[in-house]
Amino acid sequence: MNTLAEETSLPKESESLWGKAWYKFRRDRTGMIALGVVIFFMFIALGVWAGLWGSGWSNVGGDMWAGPSPEHWLGTNIIGQDIYSRAIYSTKTAFEVGMVVAILSTILGGILGALSGYFTNSWVDELILWLMGVLDSIPFYLFVAAIAYALQGYPYSMHIAMIATFWTTTARLVRGEVIKLKNFEFVEAARAIGLPQGKIIFRHIMPNTFHILLVQATIVFVGAIKSEVILSFLGLGVVDGVSWGLMIAESTQEVQAGHYSNFLTASTFLFVLVMAFNMFSDSLQDALDPKKVSA
Amino acid sequence: MTQPLLSVKDLVIEFSTQRGIVRAIDGVTFDIMPGETLGLVGESGCGKSVTSLAILGLIPSPPGRIVSGSIKLEGRELVGLSESDYRHIRGKEISMIFQEPMTALNPVFTIATQMTDVLMRHQGMTRKQARNRAIEMLALVGIPSPQKRIDEYPHQMSGGMRQRVMIGMALSCNPKLLLADEPTTALDVTTQAQVLEQMVKLQDELGTSVVLVTHDLGVVAQSCSRAVVMYAGRIAEESAIQPLFQAPRHPYSEGLLKSIPRIREEKLDELPTIPGTVPDLLHLPAGCRFVDRCYKADAACHQQEPPLEWQNNQAVACYHPNPAAGSNA
Amino acid sequence: MEMLQYALRKFITGIPLIIGVTLISFLLMVYFGPDKTYELVGKNATEEQIQEIRHQLGYDKPFVARYLEYLKELATFDFGYSDSTGERVNSILKRTVPISLALITPGFVLGNLLGIALALVAAYYRGHWLDKLIMGGSVVGMSVSFLIVIIAFQILLSSNDGLGWFPVRGWNVYSFWDYLRYITVPTLATVFVALGYNTRFYRAVIVEEMGRDHVRTAKAFGTPPGELLFKHILKNAMIPIITRIMFSIPLVVISGSLLVESYFGIPGVGKVTFDAITTGDQPILKAVVGITAVLFVIVLILNDIFYKLVDPRVSLK
Repeated sequence: MNTLAEETSLPKESESLWGKAWYKFRRDRTGMIALGVVIFFMFIALGVWAGLWGSGWSNVGGDMWAGPSPEHWLGTNIIGQDIYSRAIYSTKTAFEVGMVVAILSTILGGILGALSGYFTNSWVDELILWLMGVLDSIPFYLFVAAIAYALQGYPYSMHIAMIATFWTTTARLVRGEVIKLKNFEFVEAARAIGLPQGKIIFRHIMPNTFHILLVQATIVFVGAIKSEVILSFLGLGVVDGVSWGLMIAESTQEVQAGHYSNFLTASTFLFVLVMAFNMFSDSLQDALDPKKVSA
Repeated sequence: MTQPLLSVKDLVIEFSTQRGIVRAIDGVTFDIMPGETLGLVGESGCGKSVTSLAILGLIPSPPGRIVSGSIKLEGRELVGLSESDYRHIRGKEISMIFQEPMTALNPVFTIATQMTDVLMRHQGMTRKQARNRAIEMLALVGIPSPQKRIDEYPHQMSGGMRQRVMIGMALSCNPKLLLADEPTTALDVTTQAQVLEQMVKLQDELGTSVVLVTHDLGVVAQSCSRAVVMYAGRIAEESAIQPLFQAPRHPYSEGLLKSIPRIREEKLDELPTIPGTVPDLLHLPAGCRFVDRCYKADAACHQQEPPLEWQNNQAVACYHPNPAAGSNA
Repeated sequence: MEMLQYALRKFITGIPLIIGVTLISFLLMVYFGPDKTYELVGKNATEEQIQEIRHQLGYDKPFVARYLEYLKELATFDFGYSDSTGERVNSILKRTVPISLALITPGFVLGNLLGIALALVAAYYRGHWLDKLIMGGSVVGMSVSFLIVIIAFQILLSSNDGLGWFPVRGWNVYSFWDYLRYITVPTLATVFVALGYNTRFYRAVIVEEMGRDHVRTAKAFGTPPGELLFKHILKNAMIPIITRIMFSIPLVVISGSLLVESYFGIPGVGKVTFDAITTGDQPILKAVVGITAVLFVIVLILNDIFYKLVDPRVSLK
């Protein structure tokens, strides 16, 4: 009775991992601020997608290398395009790459990792482990180039290459977790009542690895955005449209001539988003890690 | 009256957790006399291991903290001692054996390295002297062909052997006090008895005082002269072994004793157990901590925590204690 | 002898990996890759001329035969001639690999050593402001793109707008002094980027080792903090640390130097690879991919042997 007040404000032992995690996350100020920044960027990306802003990214509307002005808040680039619009539009590109790669590679890694972990010491596991070893051993840039060759300039070859290489880490983590989980009683029970294996793996075991998948997805998201920049710079990345990577690539000539706006703008957008996402990812891990005690 | 070797007085230890500050030890007081073996008994989470770690100054901080109280070794205050001063006590004057023999030794060093390091540090021995002393200790704890086995790695030994190594290592510097935290719990039953016997024998020979931390009253009966029963961070009862086993005064001790299966008694329908579970230290009941599980609880027990009261070398914290052995009350 | 036998056995188990890597790369880069016939034949070539070129390039042979030829090239370490310059691939590698190693090694070593040092400090002062500072710095380091770091460092240290202390591009190395001047900026950039990731990883490893039971035992026997950290904890932590370092070697040699070399115009193997990517120079790409795969298997073997040396629980069976 006298503990009722405390119980309403404190999470109970019986609450789920997710309830506890959300409770913990909400009290993590860094994590909340980081999430706010990420949501703000997502809002910008959605606005571009809806055509509300950033649509003038390809217009050649000004002088070459114009300084900041009311029409061009951050000046113009080498051929007179508005740097601000290009940076805003690139936010959409970044989210597109990040989301597509994160979601698909997480799904792929989750499924293959679960299969590999459930069927340890069978040919399925051997095959998946071999595939992961192979993909991890091919130099990343070469792999992207190879896929770009094979797909003959298909605009999504970069995405495909990233998905094909980024799923392996997720799969390894999920595999380890599934090996642990499959000896738990609820799995034995499911097996004892004769549930089909597919159902056991995907309905009973997989949901217990979602916390790994979520954290991995955020890590892959960051990895994808950072890789896009380098790949676009090398000419292996975004083919149509504009991205922070392409902006930095075109800025390399400009900085030699002493014009830094393009470089600084793209770098700042990229840095702030990646930093916020990294911090959000860290806080998420803290909140979801059941072993972690507050230090 | 002889001076106690170690005296713990009004010890309070708190841990900060996600959900708030937990008082793991709440006013614990007891003495250890030279040469005696004291049992520290209770269910898991009652604070017995925390108490023994606190004696060695090993409470992880943060999150743990000794809030108040004192721990005195031969009159010397240990609470608040600097880390570098404490190092000269650990392993030399007070030693500790841990519960998990499988993980308590460093897997990448040989037994020789681990034992000689301690001896060279505390006794100022050369490596050769230390090695001889280590072999001697291994022989003493009953390890066959110690000259050979000393160069083995922990993973090459069984759990029982490793625990013997731990005991040998702990006693190698002739400590005044040995803290044994569930030393036999992780071993199988036959090994348990052997290791325990070895420990008691050595303790007799060397005159070391021992604090035996355990949840197993059988172990206490076998090796201790006195026992402190702890419940949820406080002492429920303190008594010599004989009266404790004959006539436990605290209902909790009584319950613990009754729940030990006995062979000679006629078949019981059911093994008596203590109803309920150990309370969450964050949500302790008002009054006596044991009140929710006690068959004797009444209104008074809900009001205030009962103090620990002494009567003929037997102390009990209860408003309705069982009569003492031999008394007619 | 036992070691050699072991290494040999291990190499055989590594063959499926080599086959996998080469097969996938071959399939994507060569089989489905760009058709070079029309770059090599002249205008208005006759059907015979085209057939002749296709034969020279091996396009008329079945897939399996072409792939086996590739494996033979890898086994004999003879990759033929570059499509674009006509130089022997082997001599290109012989010229460029030493440059890449000279360029990458200092940054790689420094990045790992500094990472371990910072991780030890952070782990030792776990939860204190120093730890928070180091970990905060790591997140910042992890969030800056390698490309941005390279460009920024070049502007700040090499360009005329900045300090102008170091050469902007190229590799005119004739003395040790030249060498230092040319590698400083790339090395600083590499260290800056690697440090965040390394420190975080190593700190996690060390913190985990610090929580082990045997560390508490060592503490309970009066082990001083320095000995505890450098002897008891670090020796156990060496296993994951060395594994990470070893497995990053094959990728750092190719991928790590690719960006730096192409940006700074340094004629190492990364630059050659990048040029081969843009021109579709298949013999070079085949060589680079094949060698990386073999390097991976070698690292796998070395890593296992190293395990054995550090961890007595592992046997070479």
